[in-house]
Amino acid sequence: MIGQLTKGERQLALVILIFLGLVGLAMAAGGRHDPLGAHGALVIVCALAGLMAVIAAYFDPEPDPERLDRYYDDPSKIGIVIAMIWVVVGLFVGDWVAWLLVNPDLTFDAGWASFGRLRPVHTTSVIFGFGGNALIATSFYVMQRTSRARLPDQLSPLFVLFGYNVFCLLAVSGYLIGVTQSKEYAEPEWYADIWLVIVWVTYLVLYLRTLARRKEPHIYVANWYYLAFIVVVAMLHIVNNLAVPVSLGHAKSYSLFAGVQDAMTEWWYGHNAVAFFLTAGFLGMMYYYLPVRAGRPIFSYRLSIISFWGITFFYMWAGSHHLHYTALPQWVQTLGMTFSLMLLVPSWASATNALLTLNGAWHKVRDDATLRFMMVAAVFYGLTTFEGSFMAIRPVNSLSHYTDWTIGHVHAGALGWVAMITFGSIYASVPWLWKRESMYSPRLVEAHFWLALTGTIVYVMAMWNSGIVQGLMWRTYDDSGTLAYSFLDTVIAMHPYYIARAVGGLLFLIGALIGCYNIWMTIRGVPSAAPRVATDTAAESPVAVPAGAAAFRSGE
Amino acid sequence: MNIFGFHYRLERKGIGLVLAIIAVASIGGIVEIAPLFTIHQTVETDPNMRVYTPLELAGRNIYIREGCYACHSQMIRTLRDEVERYGPYSLAVESKYDHPMLWGSKRTGPDLARIGGKYSDEWHVRHLYNPRDVVAQSIMPAYDWLMTAQLRIEDLGEHLEAQRDVGVPYTDEMIAHATADAAAQIAPDTPAAEDLKKRYGAATIIHSFADKPAQVTEMDALVAYLQILGRLTDAAGKPVAQTGETQASGTQVGEAQAGEAQ
Amino acid sequence: MTIYHDTLVWLAKSAGLFYLMGLSLIVLIYTYWPSNKKRFNEAAETIFQDEDKPCR
Repeated sequence: MIGQLTKGERQLALVILIFLGLVGLAMAAGGRHDPLGAHGALVIVCALAGLMAVIAAYFDPEPDPERLDRYYDDPSKIGIVIAMIWVVVGLFVGDWVAWLLVNPDLTFDAGWASFGRLRPVHTTSVIFGFGGNALIATSFYVMQRTSRARLPDQLSPLFVLFGYNVFCLLAVSGYLIGVTQSKEYAEPEWYADIWLVIVWVTYLVLYLRTLARRKEPHIYVANWYYLAFIVVVAMLHIVNNLAVPVSLGHAKSYSLFAGVQDAMTEWWYGHNAVAFFLTAGFLGMMYYYLPVRAGRPIFSYRLSIISFWGITFFYMWAGSHHLHYTALPQWVQTLGMTFSLMLLVPSWASATNALLTLNGAWHKVRDDATLRFMMVAAVFYGLTTFEGSFMAIRPVNSLSHYTDWTIGHVHAGALGWVAMITFGSIYASVPWLWKRESMYSPRLVEAHFWLALTGTIVYVMAMWNSGIVQGLMWRTYDDSGTLAYSFLDTVIAMHPYYIARAVGGLLFLIGALIGCYNIWMTIRGVPSAAPRVATDTAAESPVAVPAGAAAFRSGE
Repeated sequence: MNIFGFHYRLERKGIGLVLAIIAVASIGGIVEIAPLFTIHQTVETDPNMRVYTPLELAGRNIYIREGCYACHSQMIRTLRDEVERYGPYSLAVESKYDHPMLWGSKRTGPDLARIGGKYSDEWHVRHLYNPRDVVAQSIMPAYDWLMTAQLRIEDLGEHLEAQRDVGVPYTDEMIAHATADAAAQIAPDTPAAEDLKKRYGAATIIHSFADKPAQVTEMDALVAYLQILGRLTDAAGKPVAQTGETQASGTQVGEAQAGEAQ
Repeated sequence: MTIYHDTLVWLAKSAGLFYLMGLSLIVLIYTYWPSNKKRFNEAAETIFQDEDKPCR
């Protein structure tokens, strides 16, 4: 990894890491009476680990000049491995909190293990840890291929990747020791937020530098989505996290906004995080990996452009549907509802585009679990966006809001769309990146697929039921015109659904573990001579893949 | 080259695409959010609304730290069943000092916007210590360690100052006495408690919430906060009389008050 | 100068609508402009070019 850096880059890496270490030292000293001190120590540890890695390889020979004839794939490889670690952590904690709702005493008497602290660990690990690393890793891969340009240098991709993971570590460890802003999906405190801005700007500049080196006159549409993801997430992140720290020695800060303004800002952020992190970024993934894996160009390139601008434009207005019937002015609520309904158009355009691309390749979907992951992802994307628009309608929202229906909706999107398209893309790119004929075991991909699909369906069905049942119970009146159920009655009624949900989550987790094993065994395998093209050298591979079985046909 | 030469050049340069994305995306946000920054012109006002005492603010920070907002909302919607279950629907003015707001998005447990005063301090302490001692089927985690965790009060002045920086009207006097006021709130009938009342109002609840007068615990702070929820202003008490009586369940009440104040 | 809430709301409701319609129109024209067709079709095919190495 460090061997790929030039001498100058190694020196620059040392400078950055020493600076990071000094910042950590200042945090540790200034915040010695505060959780900030612990985070200072964490930053120092990260900086030291980086320093040791660089110093150990500092005197290695300069990288081979011929590397410039190849794409720079180290960051993508590392990113995929890290993403798989995060997904296991995130799904494990997610299933744990699911069981906490079945039996609240599974905290083992530890303050950090209560639902309120673990829940953001789950959401951050899966969204930012798994999703974010997968997006960064695949975006590096896709931007190089579609631009036919190598990344402009070796250091900044690694800075983006590791810097981003330092942010994730600060976030997740912070919740456990009680550091949180309480803004959903934007919980990390001010210093972590500032760090993320630095990393993110580097990421954007890196992307633009790579695009500037491209030979193709046209920027392939996948890059549009990745770019929208990077740019808009930066905007959202900065605005929503404006805050005044108690002091430079405190982790705690107070949001610049209050009350109704804060609510609107938070859900403007929250909904657009769904739009540009969990949708645009992963659509970028889909628009590259799905056509390539299917061996067919996207059904309608024009439709993909229309959906792009539709999504970029409409989503921005839709956030207020999280605040129906609240103290938010009603015209803003109505605006949010209207645009949420209009959003269905670009969303279904994308889903349809993906599915129609598979026309003529359905036999591949049947045989190849990797492609099937992507196909099912597109289906769930269509279902979830329909459900989302539906739930944004005010009277529907009056029933669904505050209940598990929302949780079910989010997981239909997160498990069915985001995770499925990511697993599909990872299973496609791992053999390409590590120059293997195919995955170690296509059968295990198949097993993962069915576990993931079953888990998702069990989970979502359980939450639909519990949400609608609870919502209806809350508003049921008896004959005398008083509320029929106490709140506790509705909690007790949720019990069976909570068990079902936790079981569904467990299936999904087992699938991810199988995926990790499969990816690990693929990485350990012996490289085949010519990647991505059928050759006669399959005998060299430890996996008994018949000659001619290219990556496209790994489903048997 | 056609009339889209301009767009073509935009696209050729990645930066142009970025600028287009920023322009398209930001306008939605601006249009929707900008009016909210003048919303104080339309929001109900209550000159008598008080700010959180240092102890209540510390309790609020514990509420945030423990992630209580993940399961409890603090926003009663303008729906009949909610008004009957939890009390008058929430008004914007009620959270105007809430940096950040804690409206929440999920009710695994009940709404807490008007929990203040509904139960005794002792009930809250027992319930937080182990919810299942009080409500057998509760699925809330136990927070017994709050009982022994000493509250950090020496830096509360800095907290109040930061709050003032973001717009909460704390006075210099409040900031200067923040630490003393936090300790005074669990010591009724002392001169310090009288000073606290002078600063934050006669209705300030002064009580050894956790019944451990020797030290200020995190339990004291959290219960003090829970007991003030919904009681910083009585602005919401007025529209409750208009609650619809014949509407179907799930229908809205008093839409006009909650909606545009025009 | 005081910015009034009502003014902003009015702007949001009027200018916002025209902006929406104008933008949709621009995007649709751009996408379906006949001379762009070839470029888009080529773009859709670019991801299938075989050589797995950068041009620069």
